[in-house]
Amino acid sequence: MLDFMFVFFAALAILGGLVVAFHRSIVHSAFGLVGALFGVAGLYWTLGADFLGATQILLYVGGVTVLLLFAVMLTTRDTTRVSIARNAAMAIVVGYLGHLVYQAYQGVAGLIAASGHVPTDDPAPTTETIGTLFLEREGYLLPFEAISVLLLVVLVGAVTLARRGPGEEGGAGNPVRDQGSDA
Amino acid sequence: MSLSALTAMAMTLGSQAAEQAESITEAGTGLHDSLNSYLVVSGILFLLGVAAILTRKNALYVLMGVELILNAANINFVAFARFGGYGIDGQMFALFVVILAAAEAAIALAIVLRIFHDFGSIDITRTDSLRD
Repeated sequence: MLDFMFVFFAALAILGGLVVAFHRSIVHSAFGLVGALFGVAGLYWTLGADFLGATQILLYVGGVTVLLLFAVMLTTRDTTRVSIARNAAMAIVVGYLGHLVYQAYQGVAGLIAASGHVPTDDPAPTTETIGTLFLEREGYLLPFEAISVLLLVVLVGAVTLARRGPGEEGGAGNPVRDQGSDA
Repeated sequence: MSLSALTAMAMTLGSQAAEQAESITEAGTGLHDSLNSYLVVSGILFLLGVAAILTRKNALYVLMGVELILNAANINFVAFARFGGYGIDGQMFALFVVILAAAEAAIALAIVLRIFHDFGSIDITRTDSLRD
């Protein structure tokens, strides 16, 4: 059963990734990304990370991709079919990178295998442990607080960046540069 | 030509890796119980992300490629933590990565909107100035 789930979610993730990398239409690619992220969430579940999988779906599938689709709708015109530009050189780069990744994984997997740890067959729910760790000083309290500040900064920063400047309300589509007051 | 070459590259890597995973699983454990099968998936996702970043000119494709790469790294975090016996820390790191990726996406998309407004397109080969 878990094997079937693994194959299903892995196939979903890889097919979604293929669509992102190679499909010609950017809207299709965005939906391919939804599939890929959902597949990764499923892989978390087969690894026993239930809370992480749920977070992945809430944040990525629910949040980031919706944001991405909005950006696609706001910036892409019907005529801009950005094609895959470059060629064999990139294929060679990617292939060589794949070779390196393969070798690195071989090495690290060997180290892990040598440690002789056998994962428990029946993973327990992780939510309580994660919640406790977030609020413990010996755990991740400092990163947790830092990230809340970061999210506030991101909120303000995103609004500031995307907002139109004071002088350009009417001139839609006219790339008039503002006097830099909204930088 | 380029597309088929890239796809062929990914396919050969995938089949190579699938053989590897099979040889591991013949030892008795299932597919979901072997570290290698997760490493194969994350490796393929990583390469697809790199391919998306390198071959596309649209800034949004580059963002999607970055998301793919981050997810590949996250799979590694969780898989190593589970199969190496490192407890819950791998999942905590993956959680922080997810949160940071969401923040990064928000800022990046705001910048993309800004670039579109100022340049009239989001072709990353044509955005060559930081100020007026």
